[in-house]
Amino acid sequence: MKKAIVLLLAVVFVVSAFAIEVSIAAGAVGKELELLYDQVEVFEANNPDIEIKVLPMPNSSTSRHDLYVTYLASGTPDPTILMIDVVWPAEFEPFLADLTDDYDYFELDQFLPGTIKSVTYNNKIVAVPWFTDAGLLYYRKDLLEKYGYEPPETWKQLYEIGKEISEKEGIDGFIWQGASYEGLTCNVMEFIHSYGGMIVENGEVVLDNENYKERAIMALEMMDSLVEDGVTREGVTTYMEEEARRLFQDGGAVFMRNWPYAWPLVNGPDSEIAGNVGIVPLPRGDVEGGRHSATLGGWNLAINGNASEEALVAAKKFVKFLTSPEQQLEKAIVAGQNPTRESVYKTETLAEEVPFMVDLYDVFINAEPRPVTPIYPEVSRAIWTETYNVINQQKEPVKAINDLIEQLKDLM
Amino acid sequence: MKVKKYSKKDMRLAFWLIIPAFVAISITAFIPLIQTIYDSFFSWSLRPGFQREFIGLENYIKMFQDARFLNSLWNTIYFTVLSVLLEFLIGLGVALLMNAKFKGRGFMRAAMLIPWAVPTVISSQMWRWMYNDNYGVISNLFYNLGILEEGTPILADPSLAMNAIVSVDVWKTTPFVALLLLAGLQTIPSQLYEAARIDGASKWRQFTSITLPILKPTIAVTLIFRTLDALRVFDIVYIMTPGVQDTETLSVYNRSLLMDNIFSPRGLFGYGSALSVIIFLLIGVFTLIYIKSMKLKID
Repeated sequence: MKKAIVLLLAVVFVVSAFAIEVSIAAGAVGKELELLYDQVEVFEANNPDIEIKVLPMPNSSTSRHDLYVTYLASGTPDPTILMIDVVWPAEFEPFLADLTDDYDYFELDQFLPGTIKSVTYNNKIVAVPWFTDAGLLYYRKDLLEKYGYEPPETWKQLYEIGKEISEKEGIDGFIWQGASYEGLTCNVMEFIHSYGGMIVENGEVVLDNENYKERAIMALEMMDSLVEDGVTREGVTTYMEEEARRLFQDGGAVFMRNWPYAWPLVNGPDSEIAGNVGIVPLPRGDVEGGRHSATLGGWNLAINGNASEEALVAAKKFVKFLTSPEQQLEKAIVAGQNPTRESVYKTETLAEEVPFMVDLYDVFINAEPRPVTPIYPEVSRAIWTETYNVINQQKEPVKAINDLIEQLKDLM
Repeated sequence: MKVKKYSKKDMRLAFWLIIPAFVAISITAFIPLIQTIYDSFFSWSLRPGFQREFIGLENYIKMFQDARFLNSLWNTIYFTVLSVLLEFLIGLGVALLMNAKFKGRGFMRAAMLIPWAVPTVISSQMWRWMYNDNYGVISNLFYNLGILEEGTPILADPSLAMNAIVSVDVWKTTPFVALLLLAGLQTIPSQLYEAARIDGASKWRQFTSITLPILKPTIAVTLIFRTLDALRVFDIVYIMTPGVQDTETLSVYNRSLLMDNIFSPRGLFGYGSALSVIIFLLIGVFTLIYIKSMKLKID
């Protein structure tokens, strides 16, 4: 018996000594992590020479960023694979493995063009898009029906419908992410783009262009009036995704701006409004040249530039597996995370299981990126701080935009 | 010269006994401190290929033109003065109460420590929920008392946020202050009070002429402890109001410079080091003021 155990241990030891270990730093939120463990099992069964170690990361993207900079600055080869936010490639580019030559290996021509653009910096591809995100408008089907309204096309309609229903029902009109953090940058970019404004284009500040500036001011005025006139609660200035989602899910608001992840949750067993939720593109600005706009989000898989030659090859294999059509479909259905491959949107399974992803395909393919720059953290901070000053009633929109222009010009 | 009293043999032994502690402190404190001061004279970043450049005092000059720095300096000082003052006054009151003899004193002394025993990260998160505009118990209480309007986001209101944070710190740290002061109170022999009573001294007179003078060294140590902690406050502010400029303290700003912008091509790592040095100097200045004003002997 003893001998058998020793022999077993020896075999395990020998096998594991030959297996290449690949570690992956990835999200650790509920279903996302469970699914990843299942995927690892399937992959390891087919690739006995590779051993995958999952390093669950904190929930907040700021904390993830903190961890990643410590890993990367120290130059360790671990984690081999990093799940990076869509706004990080420019900043992390010097530390990541160059995947430009693997374009065909990863079949990148079959991915949504916007997602590929987001992982390209200095003509270098540094990551493979894993799942994509875009801001969406969730609405209460039952309430809109009760008061005889269609989902709003423009912000002004949303304002009016939200105001009327919220006053009559004693709930909030429209809830979004107004806390002083990255999410507010995503929200305000949607407002500004939807009015036809623009902040940064090709690495240059264009907000001071008279036309863009005027439109950006209109966008901020709309946000300001939402809060000031009580369509959106004052407390939105402390709300992130989850606060908004909980309020909406408990029946506390008519409209909500959120990412697709909220869909399975607001229709889940804990939700008081399951089955009464609809989802449409965010409204456009009520001006000529206004458009429906959604901020591009999502996470990509990058490989550590310090990984050994062997680990690099193994890591590429795993990344290719995770981003394959079958696994993306699985991820969309189980974790509600949008595929980055075009072909997945054309499958019947997706249309049956998560119809809104297929219905809103146009939103995902047209989602607009945030500024691409290695000093993104500072740029984003300036954008959210000035916006916060407006919705917190400390600054007039005109002044905030002027101050923002000045700060961005200083930075870029 | 006291040193001459010791024999050479004792001196050698002392030398070897001190070495391990000295090495440990050097590695963990002196060397990083010197490194940080050195780094603060450069413009540099951890981005590969970034040219490290000596710029002398430019980081320091830039700092005093940086509105965000001045704002966070003011916030830090406001937080420190208000929280330490309140903690000291309430803590002294509590310590005097706890020093009196009453039934269940042991239980009270233990129970009092609970807020201090809860990790700051957890209590900050807990209070953040209590301040929530929608379901927060404090918002609700203040609304029912007619102090605040319904749905006021306490942590987003610039006039309330910092005070809300100070009150959490007071709630959390007063027990610690009381505990330190209580230890000091217990060293005062009861005969002194007896003698004072016989001489006909009032309670107030006893307090000012016996309690306070004997307690002075303890008070000094307590204030130094608390002030140094308060000057580098990070966790409460970072958790309760992340990313908000109105309540940002020096340490929170420093984290943002060193972590968020670590790979910035604008070379902010040296600037962050300069800010670390400023925090170090600020703490040093406060300590000196205390030591001088309390005429404290540090042996």
